[in-house]
Amino acid sequence: MTETAEPQLENPLLEGLHLQRTPEPCALVIFGASGDLTRRKLFPALYSLALRRLLPERFGVVGVARSEESDDEFRERMKHAVQEFGRDEFRAEVWDWLAEGMRYVATDFSNDEGQDHLASVLNELDEQRGTAGNRVYYLAVPPDVISTLIREIGERRSTEGWTRIIVEKPFGRDLESAKALNHEIQEHFDESEIFRIDHYLGKETVQNLLALRFANGIFEPIWNRQFVDHVQITVSETLGIEGRAAFYERAGAIRDVFQNHLLQLVALTAMEPPADYGADSVRNEKVKVLHSIHTPGPKHVVRGQYGQGYIEGQEVPGYREEPGVAQDSLTETYVAAKLYVDNWRWADTPFYVRAGKRLARRETTIAIEFKRAPHPPFELQNDGLQPNVLVCHIQPDEGVSLEFAAKVPGQGMALRTVHMDFLYGGTFRTGIPEAYERLLLDCFLGDARMFTRADEVEEQWSLVDSIVALWQRDRPSFPNYPAGTWGPPAADELLRRDGRTWRRH
Amino acid sequence: MATALGSIAEIDRELAQLRTDAETGEPFQRTSVMTHIAWVPAEWVEAAEDVLAGLAERHPSRTIVLVPDADIGDGLEASVDVETFPAGEGRQIAVETIRLRLCGSRAAAPASIVQPLLLPDLPVFLRWRGLPPFSESPFEQLVDVVDRLIVDSTEWPGLPESYARFPEVFDRVVVSDIAWARTSRWRPQLASLWPKIGNVKRIKVTGTRAQACLLAGWLRSRLGHDVELEHEEAKRLEGVDVDGEPAPFPPGDPPAPADLLGDELERFTRDGVYEEAVKAAA
Repeated sequence: MTETAEPQLENPLLEGLHLQRTPEPCALVIFGASGDLTRRKLFPALYSLALRRLLPERFGVVGVARSEESDDEFRERMKHAVQEFGRDEFRAEVWDWLAEGMRYVATDFSNDEGQDHLASVLNELDEQRGTAGNRVYYLAVPPDVISTLIREIGERRSTEGWTRIIVEKPFGRDLESAKALNHEIQEHFDESEIFRIDHYLGKETVQNLLALRFANGIFEPIWNRQFVDHVQITVSETLGIEGRAAFYERAGAIRDVFQNHLLQLVALTAMEPPADYGADSVRNEKVKVLHSIHTPGPKHVVRGQYGQGYIEGQEVPGYREEPGVAQDSLTETYVAAKLYVDNWRWADTPFYVRAGKRLARRETTIAIEFKRAPHPPFELQNDGLQPNVLVCHIQPDEGVSLEFAAKVPGQGMALRTVHMDFLYGGTFRTGIPEAYERLLLDCFLGDARMFTRADEVEEQWSLVDSIVALWQRDRPSFPNYPAGTWGPPAADELLRRDGRTWRRH
Repeated sequence: MATALGSIAEIDRELAQLRTDAETGEPFQRTSVMTHIAWVPAEWVEAAEDVLAGLAERHPSRTIVLVPDADIGDGLEASVDVETFPAGEGRQIAVETIRLRLCGSRAAAPASIVQPLLLPDLPVFLRWRGLPPFSESPFEQLVDVVDRLIVDSTEWPGLPESYARFPEVFDRVVVSDIAWARTSRWRPQLASLWPKIGNVKRIKVTGTRAQACLLAGWLRSRLGHDVELEHEEAKRLEGVDVDGEPAPFPPGDPPAPADLLGDELERFTRDGVYEEAVKAAA
């Protein structure tokens, strides 16, 4: 039920009803329907939305991929995917409703005949399911076919209803290609129709960072260079490349994680309060931060590649031993940098960021380390007085903790650092929606707030390009960290030079 | 893990002890979003325990169950439970339940017993089982120390007349009625019949008496004219006929009792539409 139709405003029975946001009828077309993303994330998310009645009542999904498959085979494969990867219990009646609107089109993406077939299937869905010509195209495909698809979809876009397009990362592989891709998409679509997805933005805990900062009066006054000593952001994985050598060899950690997830976390941490929670207000503030990040010097960036090591006691191969990876590969699986946001709020406050694969622990955290108390009147033992740290745990153990000093009970004045924890899952026990649920629903509703805008992507690539340019000058000695550790020693040195250390995990 | 306790100090001590894992000595993480007081006369104890069992995990809170028993000698009999749930990797969170039997004259002064047990700075919800004794001491006292009163008018005898005194508390405390929440799937369905439903003269409700009265009251108050009510008793809301025509059945399953109470515990603001419906139902 929409909340906008004018006659309904006069309906006195609507007052006080808690109506959920339900999108207009539409058809979702997934290009890359045979891929892992569709199986592991998109269909489980669609099922969860269907279970909660958040999908439009008139809805259909068309899977498009090169491999031959019938509608029923596609349905069966996705049903297993939902049963395997879904977060909710499987209910046959919910699945049957979703499956009834599912179709499959096998085609090469550039094939005219295939596009004609897709168009006729969509028209059929309009008639049978009432999807009203509204289309969401999800491009879960390799970067090299995106241009072709954009052109095909743009030229054949429906004259009835609205069209939206979701583009998965990586959005380009450098500034030039990102600009070209933006240009190409904008030839056929308005910016309000383009949804560049970074699933990190769909995470509840990432959005909670905005709530923490802008819904609480106590943090914002000290969220600046006067009180913050430095910021540490960690995106660490214990996994290797999981059979994605072809992609990862070309991307590396800087394109896979740093350019998108990590810079988004920097932007959300450093941004000014937006005037409102509108898509452009939030994104304007993020772009300003990205624009203010100054290009790090060569000593302020560290790259690494994992060698053989141990994860949870099990021996794992080095990156160069992974199937499909060149034996002399120079692709980085780790990147750390010291960044500065050159603006009034953050001048001279370092943001130490790191992201890597096969690290000691899976963790995404933002740690705000405050300046130490200027003159503690106590006689201090051990390491002295530790700084206060506010840690936002993005995953796992989602929540926020504050570290502060407390007196150890007993004679004298011994101090110890203690943690005050807010555990997201402990306080709100209703189950945290998956990022793709939130993002798919937002796109169906036309809400682009949690998607990346063209200028945002270009600012991200501009910084990445300047770092990659530094790397062209020398040849790293890889591998330089064993799997299961916290990365290369040079990353520790990056902080040690400043008299700091990475947080102990 | 229940122990008979006779004072607030003993309750506090016992809680502090139970908050630590007996095996490891590590404290559980205590996490609470509210204090939840339940006033449960003896005949409601079983039903209340069922609902609380489903609620604890969803709404980590300190729950204080008050069982009045005015017919025996003065005293306080308390037991406490700390229940733990997994939260995150290797962590456990603890929620607390304090069960208090208010014996003899203690049953007339519940506010002085619960106030020292309220969690500071967190909202306090009172779930009152059965029809509240308006103007009587226990009810009046507790209404003044809580932020929200939750009733289920399905439990009330003598509807719709019993609604008559309920509006007296609307200006003192925010009120929720689970019977009203049980109509929440149907109200959008009826609203979708606009504009035709704007001239409705008569509805027939197959459901509980409370649901029927509240739906009729809602329509009367929103539409500004009288709507005649025919009621057919059923344990749940099974159908609504509008001027003889059945309204479309709402999608989905009706929520479980613990979910209904859980939803009400997430609301903090006054529901003017409900208040008007009650006045029009009475």
